Amino acid sequence: MIVLLDFSLTEISRVAWRIAVAESLREQADLAEALRCHRQKIVERWVKYALSSYQSPDFFLREGDPFANPIGGAMRQAFDRLLPLLAQKPERLEFSEILRQFVQIRAVQGLVPSQALAPIYAVKHILRDILAADKERAALVANLYDFDFAVDIAALAAFDMYMESRERLYATRLAELKSGRHILTDGGCPSKTLHPVGDDG
Amino acid sequence: MALPKLEELSRSVAEDPSMATGSVPTREWMDIPVVFKSGNYAYPAKKDKVEYLNSQKGLSFPNARVWSPEEDDWKLPENWKEIILNGLKERLDKFRSLKIFMDCCVRCGACADKCHFFLGTGDPKNMPVLRAELLRSVYRNDFTLAGKLLGKMAGGREMTVGVLKEWFMYAYQCTECRRCSVFCPYGIDTAEITMMLRELLHTVGIGINWILEPASNSNRTGNHMGLQPHTFKDNVEFLVDDVERLTGRRPNITFNRKGAEILFITPSADVFAEPGLYTAMGYLILFEALGLDYTWSTYASEGGNFGLFTNNEMMKKLNAKMYAEAERLKVRYIIGGECGHMWRVLHQYMDTMNGPADFLEVPKSPITGTVFNNAASTKMIHITEFTADLIKNGKLKLDKSRNSHIKATWHDSCNTARAMGLMDEPRYVLDHVVDWVEMPENTIREQTFCCGSGTGLNTDEIMELRMRAGLPRANAVKHVHDKHGVNMLACVCAIDRATLTSLMNYWNPDVRVCGLSELVGNAIVLDGETREELDDGLRTL
Repeated sequence: MIVLLDFSLTEISRVAWRIAVAESLREQADLAEALRCHRQKIVERWVKYALSSYQSPDFFLREGDPFANPIGGAMRQAFDRLLPLLAQKPERLEFSEILRQFVQIRAVQGLVPSQALAPIYAVKHILRDILAADKERAALVANLYDFDFAVDIAALAAFDMYMESRERLYATRLAELKSGRHILTDGGCPSKTLHPVGDDG
Repeated sequence: MALPKLEELSRSVAEDPSMATGSVPTREWMDIPVVFKSGNYAYPAKKDKVEYLNSQKGLSFPNARVWSPEEDDWKLPENWKEIILNGLKERLDKFRSLKIFMDCCVRCGACADKCHFFLGTGDPKNMPVLRAELLRSVYRNDFTLAGKLLGKMAGGREMTVGVLKEWFMYAYQCTECRRCSVFCPYGIDTAEITMMLRELLHTVGIGINWILEPASNSNRTGNHMGLQPHTFKDNVEFLVDDVERLTGRRPNITFNRKGAEILFITPSADVFAEPGLYTAMGYLILFEALGLDYTWSTYASEGGNFGLFTNNEMMKKLNAKMYAEAERLKVRYIIGGECGHMWRVLHQYMDTMNGPADFLEVPKSPITGTVFNNAASTKMIHITEFTADLIKNGKLKLDKSRNSHIKATWHDSCNTARAMGLMDEPRYVLDHVVDWVEMPENTIREQTFCCGSGTGLNTDEIMELRMRAGLPRANAVKHVHDKHGVNMLACVCAIDRATLTSLMNYWNPDVRVCGLSELVGNAIVLDGETREELDDGLRTL
């Protein structure tokens, strides 16, 4: 009897797990479908939000050529590629590659780190706003835990890259100093050290 | 539906507007003061350098002192405002172009989004039209009837210390690259407005060390580095040793030789720092292959002219030095190396400052017989013009496979491309020496993007500023790197070679930087050479 009961419990938990997985996959599929459906709108608002941190963002928003508009172009490309991944369970490395140019740009614009990376989090709010306005998909708002978690992972990857960018910036400065070019202003001819300061001989 | 959470997110991170970016402005641009903090300004010129320059005949660099942009008191002369306004009046009378540029802008905005500083920062004061407005507003206030009567309503504003500080901030966030001018329907040369701003700032003792010290070195020893003749000679001889080690042929060189046919002048960085050293080795190999009758000069040992970044008098004096040396040595003409602003000074200003150089001859290639009538007045030709002509006439033995480790792209340096029209010659040379691809069309030729560190801004204390200003250029390089596997960014400018190296280190670490003559030097097959397989060309250790 005990054996039978035990068997039944295992069977039940197996079934329940299957149902849960199926449910989860269905939700994931529903969210992926919602992101596909609203991709353009979400990306537009996401980019607009990110660019609002600049004093004069109109051109960055308007110009579509990424070579004429590297900041706007990099953001549009990064967010457009990032969005569908947020409904999956991608590797952290994928996030890093997608966000690299965006983070490199923000890391040299005189922003504190939180300012630099805040736009990544904005998609949580933008998605909720857009889903809430979509009657067919409004129910998805209640279950965005996985999506939020993916955004958090993307943001963490971005923080790593932010630090890497800053370190690369300092390394670049150091490499320039070591190249000897500082002698252009700080040294002069070696024989100059033989003369007192102010003596131009 | 509003997004309250999103607004909170913005507020939580945007309380303190940063230098270049920050929260959405709530005030007119005129009312937003500049804030100097470490990293957003280049260090002021050292007192002794300013004193030295001011003591030189024909030069004026007053108010030498120790000062800091971060302090409220910039230790200006008591009558600083009078000096500035008189200086502006004097320049409006002297330069008709300035007067026209002040009056004719209709604020159409064609230039607004063309500046690499604007594209990298989003700061509206980096729009060329607004940067010019910093000066134009003062001009309107004090020099036009409308401004005198209506003041701010007519776009005028009084000259204050705050305005002066703003001038310093933004006159040094312009590399005078002239990309904006290409798009201006009136042809306003915004670079010349920046030049005027910098000139005016110098009249009250505001200048940066990275410009004034090389200018002072150039005035003193003939080159930016302050190298004295024996050191300059030693450095070139080291390069001769290197060429001999790599090729088995020892280039024959001379210094200050009277009666040589050609005087060769190049930036001193070419004989001093990587990667310029390899470019200089390329010159040596080229001239050796031709058996050219030429001489180096240990006095005119600098092509660069940091005078262009300070004032007219300094620019004129440094340019004159090259011609004084050509006259002293009694050469026929000058070949110039891979430099940027040397060529801009030569093509845009030299003739009315020091030219025409009638004591020299119109350059004629001794190898091909080609007469360079384009240099009939300046009597100075670019090494790339000279090389392209040699290749066209089949006078060089080239082995392109020696550059097979390189996939190059071409950066049109602002000064050589926009100021002297050198665009097809380097491409012709590249076709014959290396496998290469173009960057996107709106980032090359006349529309080329600056390295972001020109006009004396290539100093390390403003590295962040330089990286964002160089973003449009780096972005185009990234594209050809990702798409075509480009690993070398070639150019013909010493400042580019130095600054693009840093730019690539940050944005595209897989891409190195070289001069065109390095690629030529790699490919040239010298008679009697014993060159082994060089995996990395002239850079092979």
